This record gives sequence, C-alpha cells and structure tokens, in this order.
Amino acid sequence: MRPPMRSLSIALASALALTACSSGGDAEETTTGAAACAPSSGPVTLTYTTWIPGIENVVKLWNDKNPNIQVKVQTGPNGNGGTYANFFNQLKAGNAPDLGHIEYDALPSFRVQDGLTNLADCAEVTAAKDQFVDWTWGQVSFGEQNAVYGIPQDTGPMGLFYRKDLFEKNNIPVPTTWEEYAAAAEKVKAAGGYITNFSQSDISQFAGLSWQAGGRWFANDGTKWTVNFSDEATTKVANYWQDLITKKLVSAVPPWTTEWDNAYNTGQAWTWVSAVWGANSIKSGAPDTSGKWAVAPMPQWTAGGTVAGNWGGSSTAVFKGSKHPYEAAKFVLWLNTSEEALTALNKEAQLYPATKTGAKLPALSEGVEFYGGQKIYDVFATASTQVSPDFVWGPTMTDTYATASDGFKAVVSGTGTLADALKTAQTKTVATLKSQSIPVAE
Amino acid sequence: MKGKWKALTFFILPFVLLFAAFYLAPILYAIKQSLYKVERKGTFGKATEVFGGLDQYQRVFTDGPFWESIGRVLLFGIVQVPVMLGLALIFALLLDSGLVKGRRFFRLAFFVPYAVPGVVAAIMWGFLYSPNLSPFTAVTSAVDLLDADLVLWSMANVVTWVYVGYNMLIIYSSLLAIPQEVYEAAKIDGAGAIRTAWSIKIPLVMPAIVLTTVFSIIGTLQLLAEPAVFRTFSSAVTSTYTPNLTVYSTSSIPNFNLAAAFSVVLALATCVLSFAFLKVTQRGGDK
Repeated sequence: MRPPMRSLSIALASALALTACSSGGDAEETTTGAAACAPSSGPVTLTYTTWIPGIENVVKLWNDKNPNIQVKVQTGPNGNGGTYANFFNQLKAGNAPDLGHIEYDALPSFRVQDGLTNLADCAEVTAAKDQFVDWTWGQVSFGEQNAVYGIPQDTGPMGLFYRKDLFEKNNIPVPTTWEEYAAAAEKVKAAGGYITNFSQSDISQFAGLSWQAGGRWFANDGTKWTVNFSDEATTKVANYWQDLITKKLVSAVPPWTTEWDNAYNTGQAWTWVSAVWGANSIKSGAPDTSGKWAVAPMPQWTAGGTVAGNWGGSSTAVFKGSKHPYEAAKFVLWLNTSEEALTALNKEAQLYPATKTGAKLPALSEGVEFYGGQKIYDVFATASTQVSPDFVWGPTMTDTYATASDGFKAVVSGTGTLADALKTAQTKTVATLKSQSIPVAE
Repeated sequence: MKGKWKALTFFILPFVLLFAAFYLAPILYAIKQSLYKVERKGTFGKATEVFGGLDQYQRVFTDGPFWESIGRVLLFGIVQVPVMLGLALIFALLLDSGLVKGRRFFRLAFFVPYAVPGVVAAIMWGFLYSPNLSPFTAVTSAVDLLDADLVLWSMANVVTWVYVGYNMLIIYSSLLAIPQEVYEAAKIDGAGAIRTAWSIKIPLVMPAIVLTTVFSIIGTLQLLAEPAVFRTFSSAVTSTYTPNLTVYSTSSIPNFNLAAAFSVVLALATCVLSFAFLKVTQRGGDK
C-alpha cells in the first residue's frame, strides 16, 4: 500500500506545485530601478529564439569572444508562422527564452501580454538611442519616456522591384506614381503578364502601402486605443488595389508559396512593391531571373513626392522572466549595432540595419549581381529616410491580420471589396480588444 | 483481502495516474480557463485573471463564424464519412472474398497513406491541386480545386485518402473473426458470394462499422491539419474555416480563456453527436 500512496502524493504535490508556479507568475511585481539591469556574477548562458537564416554563424562570432556570456540559438518558423504563438505559450508557461525576435508590428501584442522586459534601466541601452533611425526607436519605446521594450534590429523601407528587361522590351516607362503604375498594369496585361501579385493573405504589405499613403490604423492616447482601418488614406489605397483586382490586372497567387515563387520565376509577375529584404526573397524564389531585375523608388501618390512605406523590420526583445537582462542587452547591442555583426547579418540574411551608420556599411554600397550590378541599397537608404515615424501598431495584430486576410481572400475570390473587408476587420479587432479588456474607443 | 487490494492498486495505478495527468488534468484545466476572463487598466495594463462565469461561453454562442464552421464540418462529415467508410467496407470485403490476388500486398498498400503524417499528406495534395505546379495541369487549369466551391471537397479527398486504409483494416480484422461454420452453413443454404457478403458479413461486422463511424465523426469535428495547411494554398480557407482552426487562431491572439471555451463547446458537441449516433444505431440493433 505504501509505495503507491507515496507516488500518488508526490504526483498530487507536484500538481499543486505546478498550479502554484502558474499563479505565482501573475503575482510577481515588475521590478524597476537600476537593480533590474544589474550584471550577473559568473558565466551566463542566454537563449535566443529567431528565424534569421544563418544566425548561428553570426552568434558564433560573439560566442568565440565572450566566454562568459554564451548565447544559445533556437530557430523556428517566422513570427506569424508559429514562433509568436510559441512565445505566447512559453510566456504563459514561464519558460520563455531570454531573447526573442519580434517584428515591430508584434511588439505591442507582447507588451500588452506583459511579456517584455523594459530595458530603460540599462544605461547602455538608453545611451544607444541616437544610433538608431528615429522611427525605429519610436516603435520600441511606443513614444514613451523610460520605455525600451526591444532593440531595433532591421527595417524594411520599401521600393519597387521590377523586371527591367521586360519593361524595356515592351517600352513601358518605369512608373514613378501610382497613376503611372496602374497605366503600366494595363500595358503589362496586354503583353501577357501581371504587373504584380496582390498579397491577399499577408496583410503587412498592405499595411506598408497604407503607411506610405498616410493611413494610421491605431492610436493610443494612454487611456484607450482607437482603431481605424477606414481613414481616408487607407481607403484610397484599398480602392486603388480593388480597381486593379476588379480589372484583373493583378494576379492573386497566395504569397510565400511555391506557386507564388513560380509566378515570379516564370515571368508571370513583373513587379513587386516590397521591402529591402524582398531582394533576398526574389533571389531565392526566382533564381532563373537573375540579372533581369532592378529597383526603383516606390511609386508616389503625388508626382514628385518623396514618401516611402515600411514593411516589416524587427527588434530583439528581452522576455519577462529573463534572469540576465544586463548580459542580454549587451549581446543585443553588439548584434544590432556593431559593424561586425551587421555585416554578417546582411551577408547571411540580407538584413538592412536599423542604425543610422548601418546604411553606410561597405557591404551595402556594392552593386548586387542578381540586380544587374545595380547598387540597390542606395535606393533603400534614401527610402529609409522617407518613412514617416508615427505609424502605430495595435496590441492584437495576429488577430487583425487574420481577420483582414479572411476578408481580402474573399475579395480575390470575388466576394466583397477591400474597403469592406477592412471595415469588418476593424469591427472584429475592436471586439478582440474588448474580449481582452483592453480599453478601446468605439 | 488486503493482498487483493494491493495487487489491484498496483495494476490500476499506472493507468489511473497517466489518465489523470494527460487526460483529466488538461480537460479540467481547460474548463477552469474557460470560466476566467482578464481585466486590465490602461492601454498596456497588466492582465489579471478574474472569475468571469459564463462570459466566454456567451462569446462562443454569439460567434457567427464558429457556428458556420460547425455547419461546414457537419456537411463535410455527412458526405465524406459515408463515402470513406463505404470504400473501406468494399475494400475489406474484396480482400476477404478471396477474389483478390496478393492480399497481403493490398492490405499494406491501402494502409500506407495512414502512415503518412497528416500535414505531409495535405502539403502533397496541395501541390497536386495547385493550378501551375500540379503534374495534372490539364485538370487543374480547367477546374480550380482550391476555390471556394471545391476546396472543402478537395480536403475531403485528402482525408479519405489518408483514412480509408485505416478503417478498412478495422473492418477487415472484424471480418477475419467471423467463424468459418457460419460461412459453411450459408454455403449449404445456397448463398453466393454477394448474398453472403450482404446477409452475413455486413451484419456481423456492424459493430466495427459503428465504431469507425464514431471515430470518423470525432475526427471530422476536429479537422485541423488539412485546413491549416490549405489555408496557405487557397484563398477560400479562412482563419475560422473549421472549429479547431478557430480554437487555434484564438489561442494565437493569444486569448487562452476564449480558446478554452471554444474547445469545451466543441468537445461537448462531439460527445453529443457521437452518443446520439451510438444511441440511434443501438436502438436499431435491439429490434
């Protein structure tokens, strides 16, 4: 009788301990003050989860030189593809890694779930503020004083990737405005292609296009959120693309699929309004088109305008519960600001630095063979300075993206309009915020 | 007497412990989660979990897309389950009839798709359905197998492909358990192969068919891998296409409390349907 009883009581005791752990997490108060960013004594091992290809090689540079702060890399799928869901689960279970890769649009979601360590207590971090492109600091500090919830890593200033050979062959001028882009779309269609592929399930591209046009989807006045996906600028962008979809001037192959790569590789799609990291996507997805692409500035809403949008870009955040924020911050500052690391990140994954000096990296001033030797990063360096700094992301973007993409998918299948889909997404986002008790204006 | 209890505890305890740890505890935890809600102050306020009663359930019952998705999987099940089990039964009878040479080979061949992980099967079929990548472009360029009208049935095809062999094996093993005397008696009475199949084999394997139907009802309501994979390929599959996909999407917001409530309701609906089916078939048996 005894042995089984004992194991039963052990089981019960550990079950109780588990419950205690999970509720204990909630009770812990946020530690603030200098103590929150104190160095640990002795050697430290940090865990870092990211999906940057080739990150192991970059981290190795650090590990070789810092025996007392070793970084262990874990890789996974991209954020919305599963890693964010893992992070949320790990935070709930209390076993999140020390460091995580979080795109700017997802930072508010992690902050609202109380998942991030505020690094404002780390003197080295606050001192680094001026090294970063202004708008990126706005994204990680949410425009607040004494708040640094991540350290900017890369940005995604947008440009126009286009098939130089096909445009020249068909005598189509490279569009500089959206009006010219629509006109070019007709000519491309006549020549048997599509000017581009409308991204119906990755809404962050549409967000970048709206960002450029002056759309602002969220606002946070400190007491409540405002959600507005149907402001004038966003509606203008929605109607513009709706027109191209209705006229069947753009294809609607689901993005990031082999089918989509195929559309670019076989010359079915002629342009892509994308971010700087898109250079790598085309290169790996459409290898047969090497040397045929070029990059131009993003089309403008007013002739002669100089406004760019931003698509993507990431920060590296220290999760709540990390015991070594000081060492973590030290590593991230090296990773995201040192010339050595930024060059390696660019070499491995074409990341475009979020630092001001990053744009002048030697690696970014060379011609790129895939783009016929064009110095494509010059275009993005200019675009980077033209991104307006005040775009705010909402606190439940995973859900916003999912509902907007449900609507956009219906549109390309022939039901409804983009503008209506955005209105539905807005209503649902407000409902989601309410279900999480996040204050929101009706 | 004391020794008997000791032995009983010894043999039952491992099961009870594992059952409690991996079955009861998660269910109870999900139910508990579903009765809570979060409260916070300010736009980035820290969430505190408070008891919310049936708040989450109220959201579940007023969630249009969720009930639409239940309707969708029911429609799926009404068509797909009979087709799949019908095929499984025919294959099992054919294997059992002795008409087929290479019985061992076919038994294995039918079962192989079940050994393919569901996600891999879905990705493979997704490629076969893709308009431009499919090796059968003659078909896929004429009919879009991934559009809103057809994608549900394209998925039904994947599920059928995966599970026919599995269900066939259950029915087939039940056929093997029928005593030879019954067949001899039928033969003496002058029953041919088809008559034997219809009047003897099918009634005798009915319990196996009922069992596989219950499994299939449960599987249908919990469809996840196929729609989750097809969501990337097809514009017609939304983030709330099946009930389980809704649970998944809700938990990645993350809204664990609401996701738990969805799960509990889905589990209850599954229970009700399975038991209703059992009840109906058992009543038929009593007559």
